Amino acid sequence: MIKFGPGNLRIPKFERPVYIVAGGLTDFRKKYPEKNTCQLCTEALRMAVEENDLKVSAEEYRRSVNWCVYSQFADHFGDQLLAAAKVQDYLGFDPLGNVEIKTGGATGGSAVLAAAQAIASGYADCVPVIGWERMDEVSTKVGNSYIASAACKDFESELGWMYAAYYALMAQRYQHENEVPREALAKIACKNHEYACYSPYSQNPGHYTVEDILKNEIVSHPLSFLECCVMSVGAAVLLLADEETAYRMTDTPIKLSAICGGTHTLRTADRRNMPILLLPNENDATYREYFDGRRNEWPGFSSFLAARMAAYLAYHMAGIHDPVEDFDLLETHDAFTISDVQTYEDIGLRPYGRGREFIESGDAYYEGRLPTNLSGGLIGTMHAVGATGIFQIVEVLWQLQNKWDKFHADPERWTRYGKKKPDDFRSLQVKSPKRGCAISHAGTGSHVTCAILEKP
Amino acid sequence: MAIDWPSTQAEVFRENPLGILNAKTWSHYHSYGGWGRFFEGLRVGKLLATQCTNQQCGEHRLWLPPRCECPDCWHEMAWREAPTTGRIFTWSTVLYPGELFRLPPETSLISVEIDGVCTKLMSYLKDGKPEIGMPIKAVFNTKKPTNTILDLAWVPA
Repeated sequence: MIKFGPGNLRIPKFERPVYIVAGGLTDFRKKYPEKNTCQLCTEALRMAVEENDLKVSAEEYRRSVNWCVYSQFADHFGDQLLAAAKVQDYLGFDPLGNVEIKTGGATGGSAVLAAAQAIASGYADCVPVIGWERMDEVSTKVGNSYIASAACKDFESELGWMYAAYYALMAQRYQHENEVPREALAKIACKNHEYACYSPYSQNPGHYTVEDILKNEIVSHPLSFLECCVMSVGAAVLLLADEETAYRMTDTPIKLSAICGGTHTLRTADRRNMPILLLPNENDATYREYFDGRRNEWPGFSSFLAARMAAYLAYHMAGIHDPVEDFDLLETHDAFTISDVQTYEDIGLRPYGRGREFIESGDAYYEGRLPTNLSGGLIGTMHAVGATGIFQIVEVLWQLQNKWDKFHADPERWTRYGKKKPDDFRSLQVKSPKRGCAISHAGTGSHVTCAILEKP
Repeated sequence: MAIDWPSTQAEVFRENPLGILNAKTWSHYHSYGGWGRFFEGLRVGKLLATQCTNQQCGEHRLWLPPRCECPDCWHEMAWREAPTTGRIFTWSTVLYPGELFRLPPETSLISVEIDGVCTKLMSYLKDGKPEIGMPIKAVFNTKKPTNTILDLAWVPA
């Protein structure tokens, strides 16, 4: 769709407020043969219900649930159709109704959206959202083919069977249009690998310099291995509820003030030129000179209309005027360094063409104006696809509940996963945060959700 | 009637925790449907695109990959021969392709900008070093076609 009709940009609304009660995770690993998928989902659910000081017992929680939402990206990987039916049975939620959501990399975000819709409409009061991915049954090379099955199989997949290559095409064009130094992209990888060092859940932590990233082996020009997300096994869970149920279960529920979705063509190739959809912190003057020089179209290969659409709806729904000012922390879907810079622009952290300034200015760091991916993100911590969008919201939730230290700093958390808490550990708990945002993203921008959480 | 135990076994690749190989060896019988004409065109050296025939529709540029119905008005499209020259819009040399890739590693993938076409077809460069803006022309695998998108490639013009 290029021209918006009056109904297309309607701002979504909830008929009643939606709250998040608690979140839980497993750790994330490249291979996790010790535990099957049902075990991983049970572990994450138990953390959410039993380790968050809820005012209800696990049994009372189980008796309160009235609808379940499951989140798994690829039946290919799990090699089990109707996996949600199996997980639901092993979690003991039969015969309650459920749905399994699938929107590629944004599956987690879409699953939370589906749960929020159920609560907001009054269909349900108490909904667990359970996401996982099991990516270790095949080699990395076959795994990349499976993921590339989420490109167009008729006209694209044969060309590379590799998603990193599709992002690399965007990276080359983005750099050509915006003359972004490689160092700016590398800094994002350094930051996220470093923050992963302070997470017991992380799969790929490391202290790297910009030079390390640039010298690292190339997957597809110009992206290096350290600039690409990991492939993970693990699970993540969120407990959503209406206001009354949420306060019955916890004294620290967090309000989900908005969660909205956007889409765009599966093939990047098919994205036609259109006027830039403006966010509340932009106007026509913002882009008066944008199309000078090497840029001749929007969204082209440099921007994600799906992300812009999701942010547009969510910002209007939650009354956000300036995301850098209004949010205290952010989780982006940093599948690749390039997609992170593109997302900075799509969600209005900087105008189009100037995304690099968000990392170069220091804004994106823990000490900065809008700490981003303190979780370690997809580059440093995890990308167990169906769990990813849920994991991001869990990390934002823990920050807003002031539970980041509880779930990261306790040495017992590290021993639980066979790790030792590092000697140079530092707390990444943001001081008194009020509002956070999480972006869940699929394909080369085929689906994106934008979730906004705030302290009530 | 006594049933014999299965004559084949799943190979054990690890004992603790127990892991077995689940082999998959079958094919999918995939139909291109209405897009088949595009791939038939590649076999005979033609680049076939589609164009909306609805006069009221706002989009009259060519679609490549082709579509059978116009996404803007759902009207049927007509087949047209597309220009076989274009420019490199962007490129990437893929060093670690996925399992099913049939071209050599270090093949350069390209997105092709063609005048009069509203999309930027993904393809690959068969010869030469890619650069954004570089003029290129289409070449076709007519001798022993793979019957996939790999039957179309580009070389410097």
